[in-house]
Amino acid sequence: MSAGADSASDRELVARVARGERAAVRLLFMRHHARVYRFVVRQTGSESMAEDIANEVFLEAWRQAARFEGRSEVSTWLLGIARYKALSARRRRREEGIDDETAAAIPDDADSPEVTAMKEDKGAALRRCVDGLAEEHRVVVDLAYYHGRAVSEIAEILSIPEATVKTRMFYARKKLGEALKAAGHDRGWP
Amino acid sequence: MSGKKKTMRGRDELEALLPFYLNGTLSGEDLLAVEDWLAADAEAMAALAEAEMEAAETSAANEAIRPPADALARFNRALEREAGPAGAASGNPFAALWQRLAGLPAGLAWATAALAVALVLYQAVYGGFGERGGVEIAGTEQDEAKRPFALVVFKADARMADIGAFLSANGAAIVGGPTATGVFRVAIPGETGAEYDRVVALVAAQPFVEQVTPGRRPADAN
Repeated sequence: MSAGADSASDRELVARVARGERAAVRLLFMRHHARVYRFVVRQTGSESMAEDIANEVFLEAWRQAARFEGRSEVSTWLLGIARYKALSARRRRREEGIDDETAAAIPDDADSPEVTAMKEDKGAALRRCVDGLAEEHRVVVDLAYYHGRAVSEIAEILSIPEATVKTRMFYARKKLGEALKAAGHDRGWP
Repeated sequence: MSGKKKTMRGRDELEALLPFYLNGTLSGEDLLAVEDWLAADAEAMAALAEAEMEAAETSAANEAIRPPADALARFNRALEREAGPAGAASGNPFAALWQRLAGLPAGLAWATAALAVALVLYQAVYGGFGERGGVEIAGTEQDEAKRPFALVVFKADARMADIGAFLSANGAAIVGGPTATGVFRVAIPGETGAEYDRVVALVAAQPFVEQVTPGRRPADAN
């Protein structure tokens, strides 16, 4: 076994996928599935939906690999596909009516993060506040903090201008600060 | 710094940039603005600490989501439905690896398969993007034939990150394997026999290593 052949980069892998190599798309799956899956769960609030959508993301990569031009990172490309599919699935669910799992996952506005965080330590309160952010804010926070994405990459994944990414990040962090303050953890800003 | 453009930005804008400063993706004037702020304002370091905490909790919230254990199997079935049943194994090394693993006893096969895939991934990721550091990737097969090596069996519960970090720190690299008995060939750095012995002893002392058998030494290679 040649170690050189095993060290294929993501882009090389996609090129192999474009040639119809199933082993390459499986390796792509193993490398990126966990993050794609988590990204979708965070957006849909449904693990069962996320399982199907994450599979669909990699099947889409299998179908579209030949069109991948390499202008962005492969992981950014995959997250962009995941974002599109998650939004589509959410839209379908809204049209069809929501199921119990999805309903249970929707934050209860009456029980605000501020209230439930009162008795928690700062870390736990912060996590709850992040989870309680509006989706358009939380996804930016997730992409920056967990997925390590740049402003330009988040703009590409979410199909929004870079200035909007910064604006959403500002409001997300402002909301977090306010929620924490309400929970007794004043951090001085905003 | 003469070329440094003075940036005067409000705190709100700088706070919005902190997550990108933390994740290492900030550049240009945005980076300079944050660095200026951190250098000049005592509150900036406290703000950075708050952002670090946000990053830690956000990561924890994401990591708490566990992908299903049968995700790959489900994807394989979906792929077969999409592309039809797989034909004969292709000539790629992963297919060869899986074929070899198929001949192992079940328990050993799964442990070795998991480790092999993890190592392949680790080397692919870190070797493919050299700026991150990581495991050294072997050169051509001709080069490999001359390199000193040892034969290593890793423990079934060995963690990819531990192995990768250790090999990287010591200039070693997986260059072959696993064999039918789960043995990996690990290239050992060193110009002298003494250096080779030192690294081999170091490998043997690692908690994730089951067994080490010395192979070609530097003196033997010439």
